[in-house]
Amino acid sequence: MLRTFAYVRPGSVSEALKQLEERGSRIHAGGTDLLGCLRDGVFEATKVVSLAKIDELRGLTVAPDGELRIGALTSIAELAAHPAVAEKFAALAQAASVVASPQLRNQGTIGGNLCQRPRCWYFRGDYPCTRKGGEMCYAVGGENQYHCIFGGGACVIVHPSDTAPALIALDAKVRILGPKGARVIPLEQFFVLPEKDATRETVLEPGEILAGVLVPPAPAGQASGYRKVRARGSWDFAMAGLAHAITIKAGKVAAARLVLSGVAPVPWRLQAVEKLLVGQKLDAKLVARAADAAVAGAKPLAHNGYKVPLVRGVVEDVLGAVPAA
Amino acid sequence: MKDDALYFWNGPLPETQAPANAPAPEPWAETKVVGKPVTRIDAYDRVSGSAVYPSDVILPDMLHAAVLSCPHAHAMVKKVDVAAALKMPGVRAILKDGDVGTNIPWFSGRGGFSSRLFDAHCRYEGDEVAVVAADTIYQAWDAVRAIKVDYEVLPQVTAVADAMKPGAPAVRDGGNVIPPGQPYARGDVEAGFKAADVVLEHTFTTPCELQNPMELHGCVAKWDGPRLTLWESTQGVYGVQTGVARALNIPLANIRVIGHYMGGGFGAKLSHGKYSVMAALLAKKTARPVRLFLSREQVCLSMGNRPANTITLKAGVKKDGTLVALQSKTVGSGGAYSDGGTGGVDYVIRELYACPNVRCENQNVYIHAGPERPFRAPGHPQGAWALEIMLDALAAKLGMDPIALRLKNVTLVSQTRNGNPKYTSTGFADCLKNGAQTFGWTEARARKPLPSHIRRGVGVAGGMWQGGGGSPPATAIVKLFADGSANLNMGASDIGCGTKTWGAQIVAEELGVPMDRISVEHADTGTTQFATPSGGSKTVPTESPAIRSAAFDVKQQLLGMAAEQLKLPAADLELRGAEVVSKTDATKKVALGQIQAFSRRGLLVGIGYRVPNPPGTAVNPFGAQFAEVEVNTKTGEIKVLRFLAAHDSGRILNEKMFRNQVFGGVTMGIGFGLTEDRVMDDGQLGKLLTVNLHDYKMPTALDAPADKTIVIVDPHDHAFSNTGAKGVGEPATIPTAPAIANAVFHATGLLLTDAPMSPARVLRALEARQQAAAGQKRGK
Amino acid sequence: MDHEDRDKPAAAGGVSRRGFITSVGSGAIGVAAAGALVKGEPGQAPAETVKAGDVGTITLTVNGRRHKLLVEARWSLLHVLRDHLGLTGTKVGCERGECGACTVLIDGKARYACMTLAVEADGHEITTVEGLMNGEELGTTQQAFADEDAFQCGYCTPGQVMAAEGLLRANAAPNLDQIRQGMAGNICRCGTYAHIFKAVAKAADLKRQGR
Repeated sequence: MLRTFAYVRPGSVSEALKQLEERGSRIHAGGTDLLGCLRDGVFEATKVVSLAKIDELRGLTVAPDGELRIGALTSIAELAAHPAVAEKFAALAQAASVVASPQLRNQGTIGGNLCQRPRCWYFRGDYPCTRKGGEMCYAVGGENQYHCIFGGGACVIVHPSDTAPALIALDAKVRILGPKGARVIPLEQFFVLPEKDATRETVLEPGEILAGVLVPPAPAGQASGYRKVRARGSWDFAMAGLAHAITIKAGKVAAARLVLSGVAPVPWRLQAVEKLLVGQKLDAKLVARAADAAVAGAKPLAHNGYKVPLVRGVVEDVLGAVPAA
Repeated sequence: MKDDALYFWNGPLPETQAPANAPAPEPWAETKVVGKPVTRIDAYDRVSGSAVYPSDVILPDMLHAAVLSCPHAHAMVKKVDVAAALKMPGVRAILKDGDVGTNIPWFSGRGGFSSRLFDAHCRYEGDEVAVVAADTIYQAWDAVRAIKVDYEVLPQVTAVADAMKPGAPAVRDGGNVIPPGQPYARGDVEAGFKAADVVLEHTFTTPCELQNPMELHGCVAKWDGPRLTLWESTQGVYGVQTGVARALNIPLANIRVIGHYMGGGFGAKLSHGKYSVMAALLAKKTARPVRLFLSREQVCLSMGNRPANTITLKAGVKKDGTLVALQSKTVGSGGAYSDGGTGGVDYVIRELYACPNVRCENQNVYIHAGPERPFRAPGHPQGAWALEIMLDALAAKLGMDPIALRLKNVTLVSQTRNGNPKYTSTGFADCLKNGAQTFGWTEARARKPLPSHIRRGVGVAGGMWQGGGGSPPATAIVKLFADGSANLNMGASDIGCGTKTWGAQIVAEELGVPMDRISVEHADTGTTQFATPSGGSKTVPTESPAIRSAAFDVKQQLLGMAAEQLKLPAADLELRGAEVVSKTDATKKVALGQIQAFSRRGLLVGIGYRVPNPPGTAVNPFGAQFAEVEVNTKTGEIKVLRFLAAHDSGRILNEKMFRNQVFGGVTMGIGFGLTEDRVMDDGQLGKLLTVNLHDYKMPTALDAPADKTIVIVDPHDHAFSNTGAKGVGEPATIPTAPAIANAVFHATGLLLTDAPMSPARVLRALEARQQAAAGQKRGK
Repeated sequence: MDHEDRDKPAAAGGVSRRGFITSVGSGAIGVAAAGALVKGEPGQAPAETVKAGDVGTITLTVNGRRHKLLVEARWSLLHVLRDHLGLTGTKVGCERGECGACTVLIDGKARYACMTLAVEADGHEITTVEGLMNGEELGTTQQAFADEDAFQCGYCTPGQVMAAEGLLRANAAPNLDQIRQGMAGNICRCGTYAHIFKAVAKAADLKRQGR
């Protein structure tokens, strides 16, 4: 059962930011990750700052030019069901629909999904690991079947979010509010590799809050999707997943953004593969080359070598199904 | 070895003698109620949320308790400082090693080993150190966290292979490798292998599985003077009564255990737990009722598991498919406290198929992990995994259809029991044949694979369960009230199998009382008859004949009274609805309410005892299961498209509940074959990594195939009991995983030997095959 | 003392006092003891505050009935429903959102009560399995589960029923695939899924027939 904490429910972002200045304050959006982390003792909360009353963080709107504006408190279920998302931003709708379970999708928010802590069982367990400020990473020499094959360093987690790779494939930006005001950055730059800082997953500074996500209008002819491979049909995080946003013009790839989940401490953009595809006809030979390129440079750990053929397989599976014209 | 005995009952089974020359009912022919898909009599209670499970019991002044578990795989507790914890808000009592009344022996084992309720020597992460009772559950856990424990952390070992190495940290005195008993042997396996045309050997591995029933383990304890009442989530109230009475050294008469509803057990709740005793001690100390339920994490750590096994199986077969030799070597661990680890694994290898030369060796090992508890068909899914996959490997080598190979080796006698008794019935061959027909086996096997990386295949596996034939003891009482309504009183717990309902159906069938005029009392040591715990697929075959006998006893008494009143022989009379009528002259009859002797008595009581099965017979349930799968050979994903389960469990008492239970067993088998795996931090801290229900992966609605069929094979076995009903709980989960593995083999040609068949394992196997092929090419 | 603050205009500082009693003078039960409750003022702590270890007042509408309760901020809705309101139909399975046994409806949507702080449920409508009953009669979804034998040990059943109810309120005619997706947040260790799918389909039929 949870340890005690104070609770406050501010009515505005500025009030919330003020509350978050206090050390040990934690944001409660949907609460699905917060409560799990508190139960496992990943971190402590002396005060829980609920965002429930902050209407400015809500809302899912489509601007006249087609830009999708998603308030951070938009629930995952809403994203999965919204007709505008399904129609133009299929990758996001598909990713949202495979997050967790129906009940958690009703409760969880897009902000929370992007800011969630990793699922590494050492991080979540009673282990003083590097990410929690400790001395060592227990996964490197331990049970690392679910850990990363790219981007690892002092820590070898995989980023658990499904919506993040989908949004990066869709070239999304995030709006961050803080004591110094607002800033908008590409979502791709929101996440932090262990080599830079192994104790956090995002660039959010203390006292900052993720306020919303902006997805640019979908280019004409863009096809997008999200494929997730996991052990069970529900609840589980990705063993590996692929978000794609590909535009075909005149039988050739005009634009491609490909982002892997479940393989790196951050959503893993496959820029080398994208370069390979652009300007080419997406035939079986190209797909095979793309699959090879996707795993180039992979550094598997003792127990997760299967992720190399898995990524290859997912890339082939997904690219092989993209309509050629 | 005593396969027939209840494997979870210590000591000799009590024998129950039936009265000599007692008339026995004839086998049922057509039945009106038994066998029908009657709605469960407690459906209302369960779907309305009004059923009170032990964890729902709320008593005035009740305290809430929480257990402090050792966080280390191996440690000595040097000091437990509860001073700060005792002062915390709401805390009423804390118990730890050394406190009055806590010096209670617990696990006992080889060489006179004994541990205690709070043992300073903690041998796995989860071993209990202290327990707190407080006004609220939050306060209890706050106090648990405030207890300061000095642990001396010791070297640990959690991987079986490591534990077997010389120099491994010792889990117990005398080393980690338990001296094996005599291997099982019949015939001459070496001669058998020499005579074989094809010999194959494979090593199979199966996962350690956690039962994880939905309701957590625990109880509510309340004292009234010297008398203790326990509401416990248990499969057997009498087992809890015995265990707690012994632990607390109080008379059985002073403990009442109530277990009316319980949220699942699967073998993990066949006996009491430390929580039962702790709750009682806390309740005594505080003079208040205490509710103590473990957390899910604690259940994962310490409330039982199916040991992981490594099985090396060698099989020899003749060209025509006749099995000539089977040899198995099994290794496994029951954790730190159990002397087992391989129990039941070789049963199907010894028994299921006719084979003259068999040898089975078992090696048990200690590791610093939680103790095994029997888990639905202990040993059998593991043995079936090895045996049934091996059979398909042999079939492939022989160019023989897998079903034909199995049918070739069906046996009508038990090969391991003394005297090789005949089965009173074996529907195994029919399960294979009828199942195959309904499944469309031949067409599906012959289907040409499409040019795609997504491959489809079908597979079959057989199974049988060592129990499921029933035995004494069981006592049932049926009361017929003056208005013709009835009451059934029996000790058996309903662990989800609809026990109360089929019990009532038997009374309804025998006495003609409508279902809605039958009440059932059960699972209460204070008010109901004796029963051993519900588990091992024993409840139907054990209780159903006793219930029928009790109802029959009532009927005989009623007919006797009516005979006197009507001045007709009792043999001429029969019970029809609410009347007793002459079979030869329908005008001669009397309504129940008009039978004077009955009215004067007020109530008729019938007693039924379970008598032993006929000597020199074997009674077992059998099954065969069929799977169609789709394998994505790029990603390793296996999808079960459809599934068919064909079962011989004798007479089916309620078709709706039977189908539900079979589907349930199949779902559990899917967990074994595809998703479940206890992972420990071997080689580092030895802690449990799959310590919650996300990391320990049980099948969800999306993992159970949408298309499931059941084929019932009823051999109309009247030979062994007056109901002819065998058990099904265990058989339903034994062949599932190998059926899926064999379907994957058919689809891809990959013989997967390691369960669960995660995408990782499939991909590794695909890669290994690719490299082997490349290596062969290069070799040329 | 049952009146609702829900429609009061927002106090100064842009903070609504919706459903959360803040002032001692309101006469709410037990507020006198809760020194932690602070009235909202610009530049100060917002109105809705509960100090660590202290209690605050919330209003929960459960099965149509309003309850004013004193709760600690850390208490889960599950704990409050079971141990304070005596509604034990909702079950404890894992307390971490991984099994579904505690599924309730919050404003008509299926949610895990264990993952919901009671303070977060303040002001919302909660439906538990008890709330689907019609007096002593089973509600439609419950009846369907009984008819289709969609339970074994019955422990996950209230959660399954509530998940089904939530699904059917959002989609009155789900196909088998949608049913499986909708029920994918509820573990049944007894493996009753096949019958549960049938029960949900039957409940959809019964509801369409107005039963």
